[in-house]
Formats: sequence, C-alpha cells, structure tokens
Amino acid sequence: MATYAEMQQIFDDIRGDFRYDLELNGCLNCGVCTATCPAAHFYDYSPREIVQLLWTENVEQIYDVMQEKIWACAQCMTCAARCPFKNSPGGLVAIMREVAIAHGLQSAKDVLRPFGRVMLKLITTGNQLSPDMIQPDHFPDWGPNIQKVEGDLKVLRKAIPVKTLQTVDTAWEVSLKTSVEMYTIWEMTGVLKSLEMMDENLFDVIEDFIDEKKEDYEDRLKEQEDG
Amino acid sequence: MTPTDNTPGNHDVTGEGAGPGAMKPGLRNTDGQGIAGHGSFFRQTDLSREDAAKATDWVRKHVDRRTADLGGRMDDVREHMWELEREGEIIVHRITDAHKPVTVHTLFGWEKKIPTNQFWHHKSCGQCGNIPGYPTSLLWIMNNLGMQPGRDYLDETDQTSCTAWNYHGSGIGNVESLAAVFLRNFHQAYVSGKQHGFDAGHFYPLVHCGTSFGNYKEIRKYLIESAALREKVKKILGRLGRLVDGKLVIPEEVVHYSEWLHVMRNRIASDLQKIDVSNIRVTAHVACHYYKMVHEDAVYDASVLGGNRTAIITSVAQALGAQVIDYSTWYDCCGFGFRHIISEREFVRSFTMDRKIRVASEEARADVMLTNDTGCVTTMDKNQWIGKSHEQNFQVPVMADIQFAALACGADPLKIVQLQWHASPCEDLVEKMGISWSNAKKEFQEYLKEVERGNIEYLYNPELAYGGAK
Repeated sequence: MATYAEMQQIFDDIRGDFRYDLELNGCLNCGVCTATCPAAHFYDYSPREIVQLLWTENVEQIYDVMQEKIWACAQCMTCAARCPFKNSPGGLVAIMREVAIAHGLQSAKDVLRPFGRVMLKLITTGNQLSPDMIQPDHFPDWGPNIQKVEGDLKVLRKAIPVKTLQTVDTAWEVSLKTSVEMYTIWEMTGVLKSLEMMDENLFDVIEDFIDEKKEDYEDRLKEQEDG
Repeated sequence: MTPTDNTPGNHDVTGEGAGPGAMKPGLRNTDGQGIAGHGSFFRQTDLSREDAAKATDWVRKHVDRRTADLGGRMDDVREHMWELEREGEIIVHRITDAHKPVTVHTLFGWEKKIPTNQFWHHKSCGQCGNIPGYPTSLLWIMNNLGMQPGRDYLDETDQTSCTAWNYHGSGIGNVESLAAVFLRNFHQAYVSGKQHGFDAGHFYPLVHCGTSFGNYKEIRKYLIESAALREKVKKILGRLGRLVDGKLVIPEEVVHYSEWLHVMRNRIASDLQKIDVSNIRVTAHVACHYYKMVHEDAVYDASVLGGNRTAIITSVAQALGAQVIDYSTWYDCCGFGFRHIISEREFVRSFTMDRKIRVASEEARADVMLTNDTGCVTTMDKNQWIGKSHEQNFQVPVMADIQFAALACGADPLKIVQLQWHASPCEDLVEKMGISWSNAKKEFQEYLKEVERGNIEYLYNPELAYGGAK
C-alpha cells in the first residue's frame, strides 16, 4: 500500500500531463459515458466514476482504481464521443495507465504479463502482429475454421499478391533502416525504460535483439561505403 | 399589456389562436412578451402561412442541427496548423490538384479534402498479419480503376505500424513516441516520390487502419496545440534525418482508406461492378476509432442515414445496391479492447456475440457484417465458433467494406479477397452472390502448387516496394 504522499505524487503526475486539461472539463454525473461503455457491461468499471474521482481530486480512491479498474477500459472512446462536457474518460484512463507504469505499480505488471508477446514483436520489428502469432494453437477458442484452406503458412503467405505481405514473422516486410529508426524512437522517448521497469526479462531479450539489429545495420552501411 | 400588430405572434388570421400577439397553433402566448423569451426586440416576419411553412422547411433542410449546436464550440485544429506553417514552424503536406481531391463534409459540416490519387499506402499490421484481403482488395480495385502502381500509388517497406494498438492496450509508449512514429512515417510518405522521379509530396499517405487513423488525428491535434511536444519530437526527428528544412512535416488531412472508398463508391459501382447484390442484407459496423476519436473529423453525408450517422460503409453498400439493414446496437463497439483481445477473451467474445453478432443475425437477419477496421473484423470474425459452447448457434460472415466491394466487382474470393483467412462463414455470402466457393477453392489450391514452383501473380511489380522499377 502506498503512503498518502506517494498517492498524491501519482495524482500530481496524472494532472501534470498536458492532455489532462484537454480531457477533463467538468462533470454533471449524467452517466451517459457509463451507459454506453462496453466494459461497464462486464466489469466493475464506470467511466463516470473515473471522471468524478479525478474531478474531486480524491487521491486515495484514484490510487485504488489504478490497481485494477483502469485496465478494464476497452479504449473504444465511445465515452468521449458521447460526453456533453467533451470529457474523454478513455483518454484520462490512458494517462492513468502511463502513470501506473511510470510508478511501477505491481497491478500494471500483473495485468501486462500476457501482453509480452505483442511487446516483443512490436519493439523489435515495428509491427504489432504477425501471421505466426495467429495460429490455431494460440487461439483454440477461435475454432477449427480459423483458416479455410489448409497448407504451409509460408506458401499461403506467398499466395498473397503483394510482395511486402509475403512474410511470416512480421505483418509486412520492414526495412532494416526503418527498424533501426524505430529503436532510436524507443530509446529517446523512454519506452525502453518503461519496459525494463515492467518486465526485466523481456527487456533483456529485446535489448539483445536490438543490439544485434543495430550491428547488422552498421555492417551494411560499412559495406555500402566500402563497396 | 395589450397585444398589438407589432407584438410577436401568429399573424395569420385564418389560423387557430390567430391575431396580434397570438402564438402559432397549439402554443399559447400568455404575456405578449415574445416567443420563448426572445425579448422585445423580436419582430415577426409577417409571412403568410404558406410562406412561413416554406421558410421553415428550407431551414429544416439546410441547417444542420449539429452545426448550430456544437460546431461553434469546437476549434478546427487545421486553422492553427496553417498558422504554424505561416510562422515557419512546420511544413504542411498539401493535398494538391494532382491528388484529384473530392470535398466531403464532416460532423459539424466542415469541409475535408479526400485525395483520390497518388497514394502512399500506410499499411495496418493487424490487416496485413491477419486479414490480408483488406489491402489486396484495395490495390486490386485501384488497379481496375486504371491507377498505375509506382505513379498513382506506392507500397513500400519503409514504414512501421502506428504502435497505437500497443499503446491503447498496454499503456507502454507515450505521446512523444506516438508523435515521433507518426511524423517519421508521414515524413517518409512526403519524400517517397523522389526515389521514383517525382517531387516531394507526390504520394499522399492513405491510412489503412482505423486505430492508426484515430491515433494519428489525435496526435496531430496534440502536436499543433503543444509547442513543448513539437520541441521534444523535433529533436528525435532531427536525429533520424526526418525534418524538411529543419521543420516537421504534418499532413493537411489524415485520410482513411474507407473515406477514399466512400468518395469513389459511385464510380466503382458504375465502372467496375459485375455482380448484382440487391439480394444481400448488409449490416454496417463502423470502427469506433474511425468516428469516436477526434469525432469532428469523421465523414457525414446528408444523403446517407439522414446525415445523423457517419456515412462510411453504409454509403458504399448502398451505392452497390445492397440492402442496408439498421440494427439496435449500431453504435456499440465490437469488443476488441486492445489488451482484451489478447488477455481478456471472455469479455471480447461475450460482448461481440451478444451485442453485435446476435443482433445482426436475429434482429437484422444479415447476410454479412461489413466494417472498416482491423480489430473489428478480427473480433467479430474470429469469436463466433466458441459461441456454440453457450448455445449461441448463429453466425454471420464478417469482412471489410473494401472486400465486399471487390467481390461485387468480380474479384476472386480467395486469390484477391483472401477470404480463406476468415473464420466466419464467408462461403455462405459468396455463394449467395452467385460465386461458387468450391470452384474458387479448387482453383486456389491449384494456384498454391504454382506458388510453390515460384510462379506468383502480383498486383504490382515487387521491385517498387524497394524503390526500384522506375
């Protein structure tokens, strides 16, 4: 359990985000946001509650909803489209999630553990999803009809009439230069640091991969210079 | 106070409650102080009943209530964007006459230019990885409209995904990283023409993914509103060599492929359509991130759904002659949830089955559910089979608007529309359209043997993807 001062700091970081004043403009407790919220159908979650807690600056309860509730939001932004005050509860949740990660909250680590495969793919390739991730073994609940034509994945992908899509471990072919630019963005914006705080093992794997790719790119540049 | 001829009211002496100071039929003016508190300055127009009715009809027809009620309260961020360019802070990637733009209207009646030519295809990782029939159908239709690859569009390897799926799912990432990715990719779009012998700005980015579209518009807004954000990302873009004359490049409009399809719908129907789809019952699901994020930028058309809902998807289905069936959960999200599709699948499948597929099947008796985003197709298409374990014995084929359009124009359901990757019963729709699924499948299986031998058919010369084939 955090101290009051720590909870206050968390709230200060939330309202210190430049988006905060754009996303929170007041609240009449009308509940339109919750009435249209898909997550509210299934979870103990209410966008109205999020807005009210932030609006009333209730730091203890804000900390409390950051343990689990903010992760229920589906980020569809129906709430934002509907709110007569132009609040964006979904946008506020996005800020709260970022702050939960920045503070290394255990709840964030627990919630994000199953997301590791997507993170690995995204950070290392610049794609978030690849054909080899969408296989029947990974999604048994999607049923036996997950593909209507049986065959080797590589051949099926080669049968897509667009060259950049004939890949298996990325959604499309991403040039090495592009990937290296992506790594620079991750480093300069603190994304790798966030990742390290969330999952050190995953970070180690990603760091090794990035180092290898950067070396490949430098070698290629050197070859071009020499050649 | 005694009503006079100058007192507000219904001056039509033939009507009920007629006479000076009287209100229109059915209403009462008890104090002679004007209509609904307009005050003493209010003056009647003295129109005849017929002319008054005519004027009222004209107002009802021409004044969009959204414009009157809300439009004035919201800033058009594009005005600030032009100011920033005038001040020398940014370069705006313009939509020029060469892009052959069509002007459409957005939620508040603002104008938006949709280019129809010279595109840099900004692909979707979810579509390419999981639903490749999205981009292949799009390129196939463009080719059939006479667009020339390498001149009228470009698909290349120098692009990353927008990374917003991850951001909305995990919270890892931040505004700076999203902004840097946006500016990097759109800078590449801006300069991509040079390698093919064109000027900068020749190719205009066409965003395939709904979440990329919503995210990029949101980030563009933040970039225009926040000097601090611009300063931070300028350092990153500088390091990447992605500034032009030391400036950030920001697009005049962020354009989604379904907006292109919307403006091209009548031409596609008149020039390319081969199959009568008037027997097909269509339900539309428009992606939340298309019209709920930066909602003032979504396309609305007075002739589609009364202008009360975004025109995207519905307009295309109507132009092709399909029956568009309304349903009670039209506004609902599909249940994708970003994080949920990976780790909260009970939520995803329960929501999508109860709120979308059941309603499309039982209420609308739909032959197909059309959508315009990556996550929506994935969610609604893949989560139907498991419903049987809860006695949800209904299924509806799910695909993108562009895939449906390609089918209607005679595209091969497997080689081009790539329906073999879909889990929902798309075979049923194809058969109802008069196309033999079993024949198409047999031919595709034969084609796979050719693919193994290296005989692959392409929609464009593969060298173009690497900057070649000039």
